[in-house]
Amino acid sequence: MQYFQVAVNGILLGGLYALMALGMSLIWGVMDIINIAHGVFIMLGAYTTYWMFALLGIDPFISIVASIILMFCLGFIAQKFLINLVIRADIFITLLLAFGIEIFLMNLVRVLWKSDFRRVTVSYAGDNLQLAGVTIPVVRLAAFAVVIILTIILYIILEKTKLGMAIRATSQNLEAARLMGINVAVTYAMTFGIGVALAGAAGTLWSIIFPITPIMGGPLTLKSFVVTIIGGLGTMVGPVIGGLFLGVVEAFGSSWFGSTYQNFISFLMLVLVLIFMPHGLLGWRKK
Amino acid sequence: MRRILVLTMFAVAAMTLVTIGASAPVAAEDVIKFGCAISLSGKLQRSGNLYKKAYDMTVDEINKTGGVTVGGKTYKMEIQYYDDESDATKSTRLFEKLVTVDRVNFLLGPYSSGITQAVSSIAEKYEIPMIEGGGASATIFSQGYKYIFGNLPVADEYFSPTLELLKKLNPEHKKLGLAYADDKFDLDVATGLRRMAGEQGFELVVDEKYESGATDFSSIMTKMKAAAPHAILVAGHEEESINFIHQAKEQDVNANMLCLTVGVTEPDFRKSLGEDAEAIFGVASWDKNMDFKGYVFSDNQTFVKLYQERYNEDPDYHVAAGVALVGVFKKAIETANTLDPKKVRDVIADISLDTIYGKVQYKPNGQIKGGTSTLQIQSGDIFQVYPNEDAKPIYPMPKWSER
Repeated sequence: MQYFQVAVNGILLGGLYALMALGMSLIWGVMDIINIAHGVFIMLGAYTTYWMFALLGIDPFISIVASIILMFCLGFIAQKFLINLVIRADIFITLLLAFGIEIFLMNLVRVLWKSDFRRVTVSYAGDNLQLAGVTIPVVRLAAFAVVIILTIILYIILEKTKLGMAIRATSQNLEAARLMGINVAVTYAMTFGIGVALAGAAGTLWSIIFPITPIMGGPLTLKSFVVTIIGGLGTMVGPVIGGLFLGVVEAFGSSWFGSTYQNFISFLMLVLVLIFMPHGLLGWRKK
Repeated sequence: MRRILVLTMFAVAAMTLVTIGASAPVAAEDVIKFGCAISLSGKLQRSGNLYKKAYDMTVDEINKTGGVTVGGKTYKMEIQYYDDESDATKSTRLFEKLVTVDRVNFLLGPYSSGITQAVSSIAEKYEIPMIEGGGASATIFSQGYKYIFGNLPVADEYFSPTLELLKKLNPEHKKLGLAYADDKFDLDVATGLRRMAGEQGFELVVDEKYESGATDFSSIMTKMKAAAPHAILVAGHEEESINFIHQAKEQDVNANMLCLTVGVTEPDFRKSLGEDAEAIFGVASWDKNMDFKGYVFSDNQTFVKLYQERYNEDPDYHVAAGVALVGVFKKAIETANTLDPKKVRDVIADISLDTIYGKVQYKPNGQIKGGTSTLQIQSGDIFQVYPNEDAKPIYPMPKWSER
């Protein structure tokens, strides 16, 4: 029964990893930018939720909408007026710019709101369900449900809308897309906006489960990175599978070897995947 | 025209600088300067800020009631603070700055064993006494340093009264579950607990280390649930303690006793957890209901009342340790009758002073003589349940589902 519990814990946390990685993978796949600032956008999403909860008493599962919209705007603007300037430059330059954005935003938040830990304590925070001997925390389950809903929405946007077709076309062949009359600049900005909005949503969910701080972003960027690589680039299923996989492996790993080894396990997975399946778990699809 | 403007601006700037430079030394007359870099932000800020409150309040009280008398002359106390952002490297640099640039006379200690150990080398290097109330790891006091004194009881016996209490409550309850942070103090606590458990016939059914600052305790919770210890003992920091309780409730992990090294005594802990804090046990070296005569403050009750009035919260043992150490400095300086750091250091080493924190005496290695007691939160207030003949501990703790 303990194994079921560990698996459930892993899957629930893995869902959150998946959502974090979806945004990063989208930006990476379409624009070929490794967004080092991804974790900082997650942090900003978390703080949006925190302030709306602390000042206005808005439930995080409602304020997630605000978090998504706000982060979308921020992402759109950041791409249009900043990242677009270097979009055709060497990968090193875009990396550097994203890194700069990360440092700037993180320190801005530190100055504005101090480095204290903060917590969104909803009234139902400690509630849980008992299911065949397995304990499921209500908040984590709800967060997982939100991840599923957002993934479906993203799928619909990418597969069924004009914008989605434009995004996919741009990612497949830039020149052809341009010849077909797609406004690449706008498409890029929309893509970045959506990616950052997903980060914001992940931040909201993170803030309900864990305490938040301005420096939380770095480790989350790494986590998203690992999940993106493990899942494989260029598909939507990749990050989802990668996230759940990492969540479960971490859960079993820290249950067997001790929780100080959680990060060790993540990166061990990364290295193993890079050696044996360099295109990610779903890499065969690309071939 | 433009040139004149630039010149004027330059002159104004220069004058401002001169004025600032000139005013500083004037204020420094007849003042004993104390230096302190402490965690006012970052992961340790909750406990860090408590020391600042303690230091400020005691210094204000001393200055109000006549200051410190040395060689017939009265000095005021003054503290120069820096924020170490909960970072040991930064703290070491700031303490070095306090000694070499700010030229403070004495040093007030930081918070957490790790940071204290790091900065103790600065006190030793410049031979300036530091008394601290925030580091209890044995490693701080096993370096052979002569200029560091600590007010917290030794880490590896921290859980000793908790085990005593457990034996008294139910001698059959022998299964312990331990979770501890991967840092100096908590490693010491864990080593000590293992030794005591072995000697006293307890069985450690869970013995899990977690990364300092960890947020997710799911895997530990699963193990605790499976092994079902009678008592869960957690050695960590306040933020982790709060998280731990949250997730214990989330995962419905129950034990007869849940005892924390840090958290229970801190008002923030109870505020943050609300009802969930009820019946949680904790370990501390001091409690606000204890009956001690004081030094700067006339007795413990008077101090507690003044603290409540000033900060609108209850003091905890961090605060009491901080208040006591400022008192020790005053007493030692007056007894030595000089500001010479070496002479003051020698007086501190031999001091025997009644403070609101109890009697302060140091062992030859610089650590305070004395031990801890076990407390419990009952109806939102803290009570000492061991050692205490009249106490009525709530045992077993109510299950989360029955609260």
